[in-house]
Parts: sequence; structure tokens; C-alpha cells
Amino acid sequence: MREETRREAVWQFLTYAFVLLGAVVTLVPLYWIVVASTLKESEFLSSTAPRLLPGDSFLSNFQALQARDNVQFVGHPGEMTQYIEIGPLYVAYDVWHLWDLGAMGSSVFVAVVYTLLSLVLCSMAGFAFAKYEFRFKQPLFYAILATLILPIQLLVIPLFLLMAQLDLTNSYWAIILPWAANPLGIFLMRQNMQSIPDALLESARMDGATEFQLYYKIALPTMKSSLAALAIILFLFQWNLFLFPLVVLEQGKYTIPVAINQLVGAQRVYYDQIMVAATLSIVPIFLLFLVLQKQFVSGILAGSVKE
Amino acid sequence: MSGITLDTVRKEFSTGDEQIVAVDDVDLEVRDGEFLVLVGPSGCGKTTTLRCIAGLEDVTSGHVRFGEEDVTGLRARERDVAMVFQNYALYPHMDVRTNLGFGLKLSTQLSSAEIDDQVEDVASMLGIEDLLDQKPKELSGGQQQRVALGRAIIRDPAAFLMDEPLSNLDAKLRAEMRTELQTLQHELDVTTVYVTHDQTEAMTMGDRIAVMNDGRLQQVGTPEAVYRTPVNEFVAKFIGSPSINLFDATVERTGDTAVERTGGDGSVGQTSDGSVSQTSDGSVSQTSDGSVRLDGVGDFDYVLSDPTPVADHESVRVGIRPEDVTLADEGTTVETNVLEPMGNENFLYAQLGDQEMTARIDPSARPAPGDPVTFTVPESAVYLFDPETGEALKTKTDEAAPPGTGDQPTNRVDGVAE
Repeated sequence: MREETRREAVWQFLTYAFVLLGAVVTLVPLYWIVVASTLKESEFLSSTAPRLLPGDSFLSNFQALQARDNVQFVGHPGEMTQYIEIGPLYVAYDVWHLWDLGAMGSSVFVAVVYTLLSLVLCSMAGFAFAKYEFRFKQPLFYAILATLILPIQLLVIPLFLLMAQLDLTNSYWAIILPWAANPLGIFLMRQNMQSIPDALLESARMDGATEFQLYYKIALPTMKSSLAALAIILFLFQWNLFLFPLVVLEQGKYTIPVAINQLVGAQRVYYDQIMVAATLSIVPIFLLFLVLQKQFVSGILAGSVKE
Repeated sequence: MSGITLDTVRKEFSTGDEQIVAVDDVDLEVRDGEFLVLVGPSGCGKTTTLRCIAGLEDVTSGHVRFGEEDVTGLRARERDVAMVFQNYALYPHMDVRTNLGFGLKLSTQLSSAEIDDQVEDVASMLGIEDLLDQKPKELSGGQQQRVALGRAIIRDPAAFLMDEPLSNLDAKLRAEMRTELQTLQHELDVTTVYVTHDQTEAMTMGDRIAVMNDGRLQQVGTPEAVYRTPVNEFVAKFIGSPSINLFDATVERTGDTAVERTGGDGSVGQTSDGSVSQTSDGSVSQTSDGSVRLDGVGDFDYVLSDPTPVADHESVRVGIRPEDVTLADEGTTVETNVLEPMGNENFLYAQLGDQEMTARIDPSARPAPGDPVTFTVPESAVYLFDPETGEALKTKTDEAAPPGTGDQPTNRVDGVAE
């Protein structure tokens, strides 16, 4: 073997080893959560021989979680019929007063609505900032970016007061609306939409498109992969939101992070139930990524070839 | 279908504190069904002018009319014009069929079946039926170009606007598309404004060409007229390939003797006496036979038999088209720098004083670098320009197409006047 080839092989080995180490460090906690959710607390918290292989206690852990009276993790569908009977007004009523969605349902509902709403707002704002000229465009944009430095902790009290004034406390809207125009999302969409050639939009204008059609029929479809990426970011952002939901929501509307927090009791921490809840909370994210992954990857590849 | 009129159209851009005049009070009339080529160097305002016609830019002042209708205040989509962009601007997420039908879908009430019929028609006209289900990124440059054209044609607009549509194609394809575009335009008989910086495209494609520079319209006319009788030095330099040789010359009014020594054929004077005339007083009064000598760079020394164009000038800019140069025994002698044999003709790059000149010469003549070459130019082919204003004092006067008409083909191999 020549000296150079050997050195190359060594480098390659080191590179792979490093990447592998990274993967292990990332995946082990995840694995631990999933495995722990299938074990009895005594098995995985054992200080002498913690078990690292899956057991068969998942269902019993889940039942214990469901049986708690301060948390309803997965809602009881039977109890929802009373609202469905109200008819078409149900949905509107629902948003304010739906009670028994359970933490899982609440989180999914809020994250989905938030993601859709925010995608629309962010892409519209991003389109405007990227492709239109208007007064105070730069200062406005920087002002929006500047809001990124405000931590949620700082906003909790003023936001709560605002929501109280709007009569939105203990409503899902209280955790959807404040972040609907997500500054990070606006920034991302603006950056990506700047890559839309002006000629493309002008071409559509010549073809008779209105300004809204430019956004809807040209900008959005060409931005599919960016939208997919942003959707994941927004969904995760809402999914992980903890402090403000804790403050503004009441027990029946708890989202998953808040619900899990309730499992940390004064006398006892229910690790087995926490592990089940955490495992279940990963599932929707996992599904979302599976669905959007194709867009994600195709978007990455589309940019790599000459068009 | 209608003509297009630009009435003192002005477009200013402001970048910070600076006002840039991109289009400077342009008056232009494009006749109904005409193929007008707007040509000029980059940054001359030709594209901005086109965009003003399209409605993609608001004009600062002036009016744009289609036929009788004033469209100045209308938006692009209300103007009934179609535009082909330099980079084609096909919608990347739609297949060719949808790309072609997009305009009809947005601007008409046609059913999708009717739109589909028209798409098929246009596709077969352009020979792209097989590509209808492909995405733009799967097409070659030439195919994309056709789709872009089809997208304009299908709308059956009052006018086509084309912004350097061929500049992204390779040379061979460009030549092909050039003729194809012309044929298509003649068939459809739609008023067309075509922007290019390529003077070959301008010369070969336009019914008329409009030369722009610095936001101002320099000259409008048939390609022949602009080539033969440019209004100023800029137009002369811009139109014609290889471009015209230009240099300074002083005007010297001489007596009969000088004329006799040059042979009296209105041709170029040889050097031996050139030095004499340079040292002599340049204000020798004009004699009865009226000839005038031009003393230029290097060896250039030329007797004009008709002094009228230079009557009020002490110096002029002389312009000689490379194709008007003929090698001769007597005339101006220059030193060969490079010879480019093209097969049917040779391009000679030679040193004339401190500048290089280009000449198109017979393929049989093959001077080696360093060789002296003597050439002559018929007086009818000499261009003279005012050195200050650049205005043309004299242009071609040989018998070919009279300026202003474009019915006869350009006789580029000149010298026929002799």
C-alpha cells in the first residue's frame, strides 16, 4: 500500500469514527427514553444493574399515566360527543372551550394550526421583504429580526396580561397567536425568496397574474422545500413551547411539555410515566419528518444541478 | 395588433442621492407589424425602454401608446403584450404544457380543453410537442427558448417584447433561432420590439433598428441606412463587424500640385510629400479645384476631391470600414500585426501610427507579421465625423441603397463605386 493511500485510509477511519461518536452521543438518550418507557421504574433506575434492553411494561406504564387525575395524556373521545352535537358551530366553540383533547391532542392541534398559520404569514411577509420595495423596508426588517433577542421568559407577563385583556386566557389561541408571525420564519422565507429570479415574477405579471397570484402560484410552489423546512422548525418550536402554555393554560388544555411537568410531583417523580409520555411525544415529530423528508431532500438536490 | 409609440419617455432611477437617467426623453415609433431591434451597449437603457413598454417599469415622464390607446398608466397585465426574457423565466414547478397555458388560464375565460388545444397548436408550430410533459429543468437551452417563445405566442398579444432572447444560446443555435424567429415574426405579423447588444442580430433581424447610447436614441432606420449613413461616430462604431477604424486627421487645404502628385484619382497620397505638407502652413487657401488633404495618424494622408464636408473644420475624425479597404500598390502603408485567415476572407490587423486598424482583405493576400502593406480606400467609402460633437460630416456616397429605404440588400463588399 502506498504511503498516501494509507494516510487517506487512516483519515477516513478517523472521520467515520468521529461521525459515529456524534451519532451515538445523540441517539443514546433517545434510545434510553424509548427503552425506559417499556420497563418498570425499578428496572431502569436500578443502581446496581440498570436494564438497557426493552421490556414489556409499556402498556401498564401507559395505563398508569392515563389513570392519573391531574393529567389527561390522551383525551377520551367519548367525552367529546357532547360538543359534536352542537353542529357546525362546534369548531369555533371548540377552539375556546374544547376541554378533553388531552395533552397529546392539544399539542397536535395547536402545533398544526400554528404551523399552517405561521407558514402563511411568514411566507407572505418574506415575499414582501424579498421582492417589493416600500418605505422603511430595511428598518422594519431589522426591527423584526431584533425581536429574536427577546427571550420568552421576558414576554410571559406582558403577554399574559394582553391575553387576559383579549379574553383569550386558557384558550389555544393564546399560545398560537403570539408567535404566529415568527421572526425566524420571516427571516428564512425572505432569504430564500430572494433567490426567486425577478424575471420569473415579471414573466407571470406579463402573463396576467395579480400580485397575489405571484405569491400563490409562483413563489409558494417554487419555495416548497424551504416551506417544508420551515414547517418542521415551526412545528418543533410550538411542540417544545413550555413556559407560556404553563402560565396561560389550565389543566384540561395542557400541552405535552406542561403535562409532563405535572408528573413531577411533590413527593415523587413518576419516571416511568414521564418516559412513556416522552416516547409518545416523539412520534408526531417523527411522522412529520418522514412526510416532509422527501421535500426536504428534493429541495436540496434541486439547487445542486444547473437549471 | 397595433403600433407602439413612445412619446418623450423618460425614466430616472434614484440610488441614494444620485439620479440616474436610464431613458432620456426617447421618441420612437414602432410600426404595426414591424420587427424593430433596439440595440446598444450594455447599460444604454435599451432594456429599461423595453420594460417601460411592457409596463414593468413606470415611466418618470412621457407617454407610451399602443395604437391610439395611451397605456402609460396601465399595469403589465393590462397591456396585452407578451415578453420573452433573456433567461427564459419558465416556471420551474410547472411542466411545459402548464407553462404554455399559464397566461391563457390567468387572462382569459377559456376552458381548460380550449387552452389545451391552443397549447398543442403552438407546441406543434414550434416543434416541441414531445416536450409537453417535461419540466423546464429537463430541457436544453434551445428547448427552453422555444417554450419561452411559445408562452409569448400563445397569448396572441398586440406586441412581442424580447429582451436578448438568444444571448444564452451557443453560437450555432443562436444563428438557427435568429432565422426561425424572423420567419415566425413574419408569419404572425405581430409588432415586435427586440432588445439586443449584438449588432449582428440587429443587422440581420430588424426591419428597422434603433441604436441607443447613454439613454438617448441615436438613430432609427433600416439596417442598411444605419450602416451606411450613421448619424454620428458612436453609431458608426457600434454598427458593423469588425467595427469601423477611427482616427484623428487634420484638414489641410492644398493647391493643385499636391493633387497631381497623388495621381488625381481621389485616392490616397503617398508619404514622401506628406512630411512636406505637415511642416508647411496648414492654412493654405483652398484652390479652384477644391481638393483638401487629410493628414492622419501614421502614414495616413488622403486627398478629398470634394471638400464640402470638412469646409468648417481644422480637424476631423476619419472612419474607414474594414471591408472598404483594398490592397494596392500606392496608398497608405501600414505594418502587419496579425493576419486572421477565415477561409473566405482574411482579417488583417495592422499598425497605423499609434493605433491598430482592421481590414478585410482578399483571402489570397497573406502578409506575414511585420510585413508592410499598402492599402487604399475609395473616397465614396470614407466616413468623416466632427471631432467635438461626433456628428457625421460625410458617410458612404457610393451607389447602393439610398439612405432611409431598406429594400436592397446591403452591399458589404464595397469599392463598387470605383
